[in-house]
This record gives sequence, C-alpha cells and structure tokens, in this order.
Amino acid sequence: MTTVAPVRVATARRAGSTARAIGRRVLTSVLVLWGAVTLAFLALHLIPGNTVDAVAGGTTQVTPQLRAQITAEYSLDRPLVVQYLQYLGKLVRGDLGDSYALRMPVAKAIGQQLGSTMILLVTATVFAILVSVVIALLTAHRRRWIRGLFSGLEVTGVAVPAFWLGILLLTVFSFQLHWFPAIGSAGIAGLVLPALTLSAAPIGMLTQVLRQGLERVLDEPFVVTARSRGISEAAVRLRHVLRHAVLPVITLAGWLAGTMIGGAVVVEQVFSRQGLGRLTVNAVGHKDMPLVLGIVLIAALFYVLVNIAIDVAYRLIDPRLRSEDTTR
Amino acid sequence: MSVSRRSGFAVATAASLTLVLAACGSSGSGATGSAGSPVSGGTLTYAINTDADCLDPHQSPADVAGFFARPILDSLVALDPGGKILPWLAKSWTVSADGRAYTFNLRDDVTFSDGEAFDAAAVKANFDHVVNPKTQSKLAAGTIPTYTGARVIDPHTVEIDLSQPSSAFLPAVATAYLGIEAPSTLAGDPKALCGKIVGTGPFVSADGYTPQKGISYTRRNDYKWPAGTAKHQGPAYLDRLDIQVVTENSSRLGALTSGQVDAIASVPPVNVAQLKANPGFQIQTAQAPGGNYSYYPNTQSGPFADIRVRQAFRSGIDWDTIVSKLYFGVFQPAKNPLAPSTVDYDKTVEPSYAYDPAKANQLLDQAGWTGRDAQGYRTKDGVRLTLVHPFLQAYVREQRDVLADQLQAAAKQLGIEIKNQNVDYGTYLKLLATPEGHDLGDFSWQRASPDALRTLFGSANIATPQSGFGTNQARYDNPAVDKYLADALTTGDPRQQADLYAKAQQQITADAAVFPVYVFNYVVGAAKKVQGITFEPQAFPTFYDTWLAQQ
Repeated sequence: MTTVAPVRVATARRAGSTARAIGRRVLTSVLVLWGAVTLAFLALHLIPGNTVDAVAGGTTQVTPQLRAQITAEYSLDRPLVVQYLQYLGKLVRGDLGDSYALRMPVAKAIGQQLGSTMILLVTATVFAILVSVVIALLTAHRRRWIRGLFSGLEVTGVAVPAFWLGILLLTVFSFQLHWFPAIGSAGIAGLVLPALTLSAAPIGMLTQVLRQGLERVLDEPFVVTARSRGISEAAVRLRHVLRHAVLPVITLAGWLAGTMIGGAVVVEQVFSRQGLGRLTVNAVGHKDMPLVLGIVLIAALFYVLVNIAIDVAYRLIDPRLRSEDTTR
Repeated sequence: MSVSRRSGFAVATAASLTLVLAACGSSGSGATGSAGSPVSGGTLTYAINTDADCLDPHQSPADVAGFFARPILDSLVALDPGGKILPWLAKSWTVSADGRAYTFNLRDDVTFSDGEAFDAAAVKANFDHVVNPKTQSKLAAGTIPTYTGARVIDPHTVEIDLSQPSSAFLPAVATAYLGIEAPSTLAGDPKALCGKIVGTGPFVSADGYTPQKGISYTRRNDYKWPAGTAKHQGPAYLDRLDIQVVTENSSRLGALTSGQVDAIASVPPVNVAQLKANPGFQIQTAQAPGGNYSYYPNTQSGPFADIRVRQAFRSGIDWDTIVSKLYFGVFQPAKNPLAPSTVDYDKTVEPSYAYDPAKANQLLDQAGWTGRDAQGYRTKDGVRLTLVHPFLQAYVREQRDVLADQLQAAAKQLGIEIKNQNVDYGTYLKLLATPEGHDLGDFSWQRASPDALRTLFGSANIATPQSGFGTNQARYDNPAVDKYLADALTTGDPRQQADLYAKAQQQITADAAVFPVYVFNYVVGAAKKVQGITFEPQAFPTFYDTWLAQQ
C-alpha cells in the first residue's frame, strides 16, 4: 500500500511525457505534410511546360480566348509565391481544389479511387506479413537445402519486376485457367492476383530479414533455457523467439508502406484496377497540379500514420521502450 | 508526335456532305451474319483502351468523350456512311438563302430520361451552353466557330444563326460533341457534367462515369426516336452496356479471349490474325477519316526548309515495307495528306509518294549534301545532315516507337541521321512551338471531314510559344492553300468544294509538306455472338443496333 503514491506520480509523469510526445508527433507530422506539398508544388513548377496547356488538355489546340480565360480562372498570371500561398490558404480550409483534367474536386477524385487502393494495400500487406512470418518460422535454422530453396525463391520474388509477374499470373490463372478475373476491381476473386503480385517483393524481403533475426535469437542463451524447461520447438519459436526477432521487421514496415504504394501504381495498371496508382500516373502525365498535390498529401499522410503506428508497435512489443519515454 | 489520344483541335468540320466511310465492315473468319434476326436482352461488356477524363462532350478536349456520351445523347441530325445528313431529333430543316440561318423542325414526342420535354428551348440551351465561356469547351465549341445565337420560333421550331455560311455546320451538329443534354442539367456547374449527363438517348447511366473504371448504361424502354441512320426502330436491343477502361493491350486481349468481356477496342495489329483465325471471335475495322498518322517536316527551318531534302526524305524511305511489316496489313500505308475514307480524297496524288531511292540520292546531291563523314552520313560544308525528332515515349501507342527506330535505320541508308529525342511533355511543346526546335514531328489526327486539311496545314494553326499545341506541325505556310481551304468551307457547291480540296492536296503534295505513314483504323475485336456493332462517321463504334446472338 505504501507504494501506491509513488506509482501514481510516476504514471502521471509518464502520461505527461506521452502527451508531450504526442504533441511533438503531431507537430512534426504537420511539418512533414507541409514539406511534402511544398516540394511537390515546386517540383511541378520546375517541370517545363505551361499550366494552361495542362488545363486545355495537352495536345489540343484551343482558341486564344479560352487560354486567356483559363489563365484568369486559375490565377496563372499571378506570381508563383501568390499561387503557392493561395493554394496553402485553400488547403488550410480543407479545399484541395479541382482537378484540371477530370474537372471534379480533387477530394472527390481521390475519394472515388481511395477505397479500391486501400483494400489492395491492406490485403497485400496482411498477406505479405502472414506468409513471411510462416516461412521464416518454418525455415530458420533448418536443413541447408530447405533454406537454400526458400532463399532462392525470396531473391527471385524481390528481383522479378511486378509488371512481368502480373502478366505471368494473368496469363496462367486468368486467361488459361479462368480462375480469376483479369480486369476490374470488383469482388474478392479480383483481388487475389493483384495482391499476390504486389506482395511478392515484400515477402522476399521480410522473410530474409525475419529469418536472420530468428536465427540470431535462436542462438541466445535464453532460448537454451526455454528449451531446457522442456517446451516444444514450436512454442519456443512462437512465444519467445518471434517476439525478439520481429523488431527489425517492424522497422521495415515504413519501407514496406513505400514499396506498396509504388507497387500499386504498376499493379493497378497491369490489372486495370481503378485506384490511386493509376490516378497518379494520369495526373502526372497531364501535369494535373491540384490532383498531384492532393495525392502527394494523401501519400504523405499515409507515411506519417504508418510511422506513428510503428512507434506504437515498438512500445507494445518491447517493454524496455515503455519505461524510456523521456528519451524518445 | 506520338500522342495517345485521338484528340485534337476541331475547327469547323468542313463541307463534308458527301462523307464516305470506306473499308468499314466486318471481316471475321468464318460465317458472320448467319446469326439470324436480332433479339433483345443481355449485357454487352466492352473494354476500351482510353479513358475519357470528362464525360461531357460539350467541354472535354478528348474526342473519345463522344464515344462515352453517344449512348446517352442524341443529336439534331445524323450523318450516314455515305455522307448524307438524315433526320434525328429534328424531323426536317431549311437553310436560308444566304446560308446563315438553319431552321430545325423538331420532333414533338421526345423526352429526356429525367422526364423533361425536348423542345426548341432545350436546343437553344444546349448551343448556348457549348459556347458559354464558363463551359470551357475545348473541342465542341471549336466545331461551330461561326455560331452567333439561336432563336426559339415556336416550341418545336428553332433557328440557329451563323456569322457566315458553313457547309461544315450540319456535319458538326451530327456529332456527339453537339449532342443534346437535358436543359435542367446545364444550368448548374458544368463540372458536375463530367461525371453524369442526361439526354434523350437509347441508354441512360444512373451512376455515371468514374475515371479509370468506366461507365454502365441501361436501356431506356420508352425510346422511339432513333437516328435516320439506325437499322431498327424502338428501344435498343441490349438491356445493359458496360464499358470498362483497360489500357493494357495484353490485358484487354486476354480479357476478350478468356470470355471476360464481349468486345474490345484497339486490338493490337500483331494479334489481329490470331483473333481472326479463332472461330469464336471476329474483327471489325473502320478506317478513320481525316489525317493519317503522319510525320511532318519542319518546312520553316533546318534541312527541311529545302524542298529537295523533303522530297528526298519522302521518296528515299520505303514507307510501304515498314508499315506492312509492322502492322500486318491492319493499317494500310498512307499516300495522301488525307485518309482514303475522307470526302474529296484525291487519288491522283498517290504516285508522288512512291519509293524511289535513286531519285532521293540525286535530290540530296543537288541540295548540296554531297560530303560523307566517318559514320557515312551526308554532310554539307562539314555539317552533318541531322534531323531532330522530339517525341513522347509515355504517349506511344501502336508501336510508334518501333516505327521511329525503323525510320531511323532507313534514313541512315540515305545518309541522314535522325535523332529521336524522348522528351517530357513541356519540353515537347516548347520544341514544336518555335521554327528552330525540331525538324520532324509525328501525330495522327482524325476528323470526319476534308477540313482536316485546314487543321493540319492552315497557317493559322502553326504553334507559337503563346499558342500551346499547334496542329500544323509542318509549320506549312502557303497563302494559296489557305485560300483553297477557306473557299472550300464557304462554298455551297459540292463540285467546287471537291475541286478546291483536290487543289489543296496537290499543292501540299507538291510542296512535300507531309510524310504520310499509315491510315488509322479503329479495330474492334468481339466474340462471335456480338452482332450489329456499327461505326459512326469518325469511326467510333456505336451500340444502338447491337445485339447478342443466342448460343
């Protein structure tokens, strides 16, 4: 009973530091988003080309009157700084502007495609994690030929371009065997091949890292201790070793998020799925400034959220970090 | 240039009262057309290669928007494959003596799918909407530059006034770009129309168009006012029409051959024979009128400012062989500034585009390119004969990059170096906007009218740094040709018009202002059960008469 008061104080102090940590997190997140938008804005203006051409539809010859009108409507005759501040001002009010090519609000254009992409990303991520954990657990410190076989597959998975793999899967499982649809975003059946294609490279990478971690931990003395208590090999691996080995993998999750977003561009193209990836390709091709900026913002937000999630995961998995709040 | 969209600057489609859609027909393997009489019902799934971006053809810069909108929108008049103007929403029309006022007598039994009545006020609202600056029409408004206003005479009579006579007016009215939309939908923000439009057409789309995904239509059961060109009366046969955007060639073809879609646009030429040989499928092609896919020499500056170099390039390259080997006869070699299916196509200029390497070498010698450097290229005063060709790899379709490589090899035989420069889009426009930026350009441009000549060779369409994209890539400036083309547009006499267009084609050929490469064909691949796909004059497929045979 006498220990209650100090514990309370410690909890309160820890809560305070957590609040400060969260505050810092939010602030840096906003800075990251601002930086991303600003860099994208500058980059888009550094690309040669006239925005009026982009609005007019690229390879379309339009009348000088229409060009003048477009210039006025989008304030393209104002200095770049003014255009930038105007954009930021609108952004703060939650207005992402209208897409040049699609002529609809950017929020709506992204909203139409976001669901499809998120489903793909989540499916592929879950699939990648499950498969790599299972393979790594089964193959760590196993016979040489088993490891060799899987290592070979993993390297192949990383090395094969997603574009080629997608077409291969399509040819075999859709065009030949008719198991899965080749195009479109509808239904679970339509998700299998794209998710498989998207997760191939991450599976290879994650499995390698995870297996190395597992093998390192399997050599630790505490594993010997655990084994000496008569626990089964499966339990040793699942309960004790995995938890230690998973930390580097979580660090990789940030990289994974990036790979997934990049890969979605290719996968959506090959499988003719609707989604942000294809929207991005078209937006950049059209130099559709508001749309590109909107997508950059969403992608940056996604990164920020993933990184916050990673921090939280660290704390959940590694008890040491929970007591070291102040240093983080 | 290698632009992916068949989009373009549409100036008034000129006097094309006698439009021919040649080579348009089905050429499947085995017995097509033995499927009996049309039956109602079923869903047709069609995969198209290009996205529309904006569904509203009144404002979109992409001519494929006309394809997406056509099932929903009817027009006042229709243009038949023979080039005749036929009734549609207008029962009849008269033209004033001075050719500047068109009075349309409208059907009185037509309604929009949202219940609104179709009347003279609706027609006026549509024309006014197209030219309203707020609409920011990139294509449609350009097809009626002489429009000054519309007058409602009575509920079913409307008069359209023009600033000067234009034989291109009625053909323009017949396109989907001037299709009639429900007036209540035109009152609001035009941007909303990019997703959803309402018309009087045989199909309606409740959910509208979603970029990257496509659009679904359902049949309108009380439809009874088809175009004069239609092959049947009453509602469409199909219950439902689904159009999906599938940009990847192999995916589109695979989706067709594995039965996941019923028909696809733009079958890659290399796969056409394979599909024809398969008894389950058929190929339908329509030759697009207007310009061909052509290379254009910069006639204002650089080596091509010398007409002899242009003539040498034209006759020194075996265009026929390059095109036949690459496209397996699906796209024909082009031999005229215009495509053969264009009205007033002049066959007599074709021999000027024959292959004659001896003559080419002779011309280059005459032009002073007599030296040879270590690599075997011709030189004049120590300077190599080099042609700069900017192109956009990202927009390449129909293997035009392979074609560019083969052209480069063929030109080397002549001692000419072609530098194919893959540039970004902004640089591309910049290079083409000045006389010094480039020597060769390439692009294809289709329009159902010989007025395509004015778009491609009219001096008003030469790009400047202020103008953005210019359709006259040859930077060809010949007042005589400008005059032929302007006169052809305003003359009311079809014979005089044909004569003027022939003169223009002859002069452009004499000046070697174009290197025609191939005639663009719209190539539809379809399952055998799909019957009655027709093509509108600009060679986009239409589905009002389409039906699915029982199997």
